[in-house]
Amino acid sequence: MAYVAARGGEAAIQYAEQLHQALNGPLTAERVQLIAQLLPYLVDRVMGEGSLYAPELAALALAQTGGDLYEAVLLLRAYRSTQPRLAYAEPVAQDQIYTVRRISAAFKAIPGGQILGPTLDYSHRLLRLDLLDGAGAAGRVQPVTGSDQRVADTEHAAAADPAQATALDPSLPAVADWQRAMGLLEPLPDTPPPDPATLPDLTREPLSFPAPRAHRLQSLARADTGGTLALGYASMRGYGLVHPTVNELRLGYADVVLRHPITGASFSAGRVRVSQCEVVDTQVSSLRLGYTATLGWNEVKVIAGAMLDLEMDAPTPHPAHREEFVLYHTEAVEASGFCIHYKLPHYVTFQSGLDALRGVRDQGGEVPGDR
Amino acid sequence: MSLADLAHPRYDYSYGFLDEHARRELRRRILKAIAIPGYQVPYASRELPIARGWGTGGLQATLSVAGPHDTIKVIDQGADDSVNAANLRRFIARMTGVATTTDTTLATIIQSRHRVPEERLRERQLLVLQVPDPEPLRHVQPDSSKAREMHAEADYAQMWLSLYEQLVRFGRFVQGASYPVVVHGRYLMSPSPIPRWDTPTLHQAAHLTILAAGREKRLYAVPPYTEVRPIEFDDVFFQVERMAGRVCAVSGARHKFMDELPVAGGGSLFRISDTGYLEKLVRAARGEPVTIGPTYYDAVGRFYQPGVLHEPDAVPPEGGTGHD
Repeated sequence: MAYVAARGGEAAIQYAEQLHQALNGPLTAERVQLIAQLLPYLVDRVMGEGSLYAPELAALALAQTGGDLYEAVLLLRAYRSTQPRLAYAEPVAQDQIYTVRRISAAFKAIPGGQILGPTLDYSHRLLRLDLLDGAGAAGRVQPVTGSDQRVADTEHAAAADPAQATALDPSLPAVADWQRAMGLLEPLPDTPPPDPATLPDLTREPLSFPAPRAHRLQSLARADTGGTLALGYASMRGYGLVHPTVNELRLGYADVVLRHPITGASFSAGRVRVSQCEVVDTQVSSLRLGYTATLGWNEVKVIAGAMLDLEMDAPTPHPAHREEFVLYHTEAVEASGFCIHYKLPHYVTFQSGLDALRGVRDQGGEVPGDR
Repeated sequence: MSLADLAHPRYDYSYGFLDEHARRELRRRILKAIAIPGYQVPYASRELPIARGWGTGGLQATLSVAGPHDTIKVIDQGADDSVNAANLRRFIARMTGVATTTDTTLATIIQSRHRVPEERLRERQLLVLQVPDPEPLRHVQPDSSKAREMHAEADYAQMWLSLYEQLVRFGRFVQGASYPVVVHGRYLMSPSPIPRWDTPTLHQAAHLTILAAGREKRLYAVPPYTEVRPIEFDDVFFQVERMAGRVCAVSGARHKFMDELPVAGGGSLFRISDTGYLEKLVRAARGEPVTIGPTYYDAVGRFYQPGVLHEPDAVPPEGGTGHD
């Protein structure tokens, strides 16, 4: 019972923290830089779930927690909640993203081309044990072979060449634009996009249901990757109503375009890594889209999230078909926080339950809990 | 002059950690909660540097109302010195500069997880209860949108049914902590997982109680001198935990909420759960000058407001057979 009843709880906290730090090694600026450079996908995941694009701070959070993802996300969120909202960026259109990877499973070739980009999708998942034996030249990429049909079929086949893997093309149209032009999808409204400052903001207002579209997409954008995958997979594997197709999966860099408060001129405050996925479902008479985007490159999350978006309003009684169920239970900080709260002492509540149980026993009744 | 000279240092936080917008929003929501006793007010609930589900709701309420002249007491399961209470206390003190105490009578704000102190709270004292699950209807209606409708319509039939089912199956009410109450004759409310022993302390209380759930983003309140009634039947009554026969191994006191400490080889020792109160009892026994406030339950276990609690004997013997 030392952790609850011991005197000097504050000293215990300090020693526990010191021990954690001692086991994880010294926390230095160099370490933080190394994490930011060497583990970009991990940094992306923390930024996405932390809903704060700050690679240096995300790397710091990872260093500080020894790589405990949920702790790192919490650190970033807690920091984020102290920061004022200074400005609203302009909406990012799909064809303005500096795209490094863009694939569609719906069509063999698409306007602008399939771009495989940086991915391990078609690499052999073999541990590079030779590296441990002292071989140099980490990360040699196999040359492109003729069997890579998806890429070879497109005009952008060259993009699979690692030398050009980061080629930035800001003029790739969205697949959905072609579908709209062909009358397969509802056209976009003629009205200009709403002023971002008027959008409901999940970080400033509580989520309630049915959630505004903006809240749903914001919630998915910072949802827990694992949780999104688990619910999305349940829907994909056997409980879903539809079998959607990946209309477009896109990774790239987006300009954060701000308007100068005095001159009104637009300018880019910097570029952020973004990923987005659009899935499409063929219904009898029309197509329906599901969508998720997030900060950082995280393909699993945006695919699973887009599937969930499509099915969250389904009338069937599966949990993944309820918006409330999906959005509440994929909240990384809340889910992980509540999970670990069970480590806190509960002896008062337990005693209260014991009292009820003993009361029933004393009168010879059925013991609660047998329900 | 460089840009770094003009920028705020990175380690700079607002007073009370929350930024001004968050603080104003919380204070407005708290006012609304006070105006509609027992009604769950949604609020944005900022992330804090404490794990979600570890008291972040209570912490936001405390941080949004605390000022430099406040004195704060933080308890977890009755204890001031548990690591969690110590951690929250040092965070609040670090961010607001408030004085801290373990003495209930000296505190202006008491933030608590799952206990109400044994000494009676007074007017102008604030009790902030941390709430894991604000929704008393959760086990009959897990969908919070539907539960909100039930509250709006004061449709609590399923709760009465579940109470009746307990009686039929087990011969008594089997709810442990978090025993649901009706506030001001209107809203069904979870008093947070305080033991039933503490539930009647909210009724016609001199102090203000704010209950805040950070993870679930709801806060609610019981203003001073408000009716707070546990749900019960006209002929089968709400009962607090039996403390009769339990003697505190440290102070010899009786009729206070006791922690049960298992003893190797079988049997249990008991110790008063409210450590601030226990400490004062011990110091008084040593002859030190201490001021011990009046308690909710007296030395023979009577609650300070007559007529609120019914003696266990008042349960009709045929009140529930519970064997079928």
